[in-house]
Amino acid sequence: MNRIKSSCVSAKNTLNRLHASDALLRVNRGQIYESMSTKLMTRFNDRAQSNHFDAKSLISATVSYGTALATFRTDYQGYEEQLSNTLRIDCTKEPVAFYDAVASARNKRSQVHDDVTVLHKYIDDYTAAFAQFASDHKDQGGGN
Amino acid sequence: MDDNTPVEPIEQLSFWDGHRYLLLIAIVIAIALVLVGISMTLYVTSGAAQLDLSRPGYRSVSSQAINNDSEFKNYSSTGPINNDSIAEFKALYEKQAASAKAVDAFSGDPLSPDTLEISAQATQ
Repeated sequence: MNRIKSSCVSAKNTLNRLHASDALLRVNRGQIYESMSTKLMTRFNDRAQSNHFDAKSLISATVSYGTALATFRTDYQGYEEQLSNTLRIDCTKEPVAFYDAVASARNKRSQVHDDVTVLHKYIDDYTAAFAQFASDHKDQGGGN
Repeated sequence: MDDNTPVEPIEQLSFWDGHRYLLLIAIVIAIALVLVGISMTLYVTSGAAQLDLSRPGYRSVSSQAINNDSEFKNYSSTGPINNDSIAEFKALYEKQAASAKAVDAFSGDPLSPDTLEISAQATQ
């Protein structure tokens, strides 16, 4: 407990910096992740469907990506709220509560990182589905 | 002037009749408070608060936020599917996929007790 109290100020400074840098990361990366879906995947799927092509695998990958994106949003919100709660704890008076709150925030941040990994995987899945779609189109003698 | 004209009795005003303006102001303030409460609840629960870098504590990084993503081009959702449109999408998608995966966001372990120097091992 003494160690927490003595490191309290520096720990809180670190948490404050992390709070701000993670918020920036959430805004900038989140924007790219959203655009992947709204500006590319969904639009290509719509175009393929309107031309009566089989786009099931593309749509499936897009749906999975959308679900993962929703999970990322929810998990980040939970992490940010936990980190904000942690910063409100007076670690000189409640060192144990502070330690537990940091541990919880750490778990939630790790979950957000896992969500990012899943998003990257679905981006690759869509790439594979698109490659198959392009290959099928070529085999069918798709021309200009 | 005819003194015999019957004088109409003076109507007694209730408290609120005499303070209608005050009542109006009170109702307007109450409605405003309810609306602010609803909007603040939506702001917090929708996750918009987490994306608002104008909040205190985020000012140091707000200038680094990407405000213009015009480089991220929209793919047209209409038109034919042919070799050209497939090649166009492939180029756009590969570029943005590489950009999306370029950063392993939220990696590392900055909240570990060792990093923060609050490790349990040294906790007495």
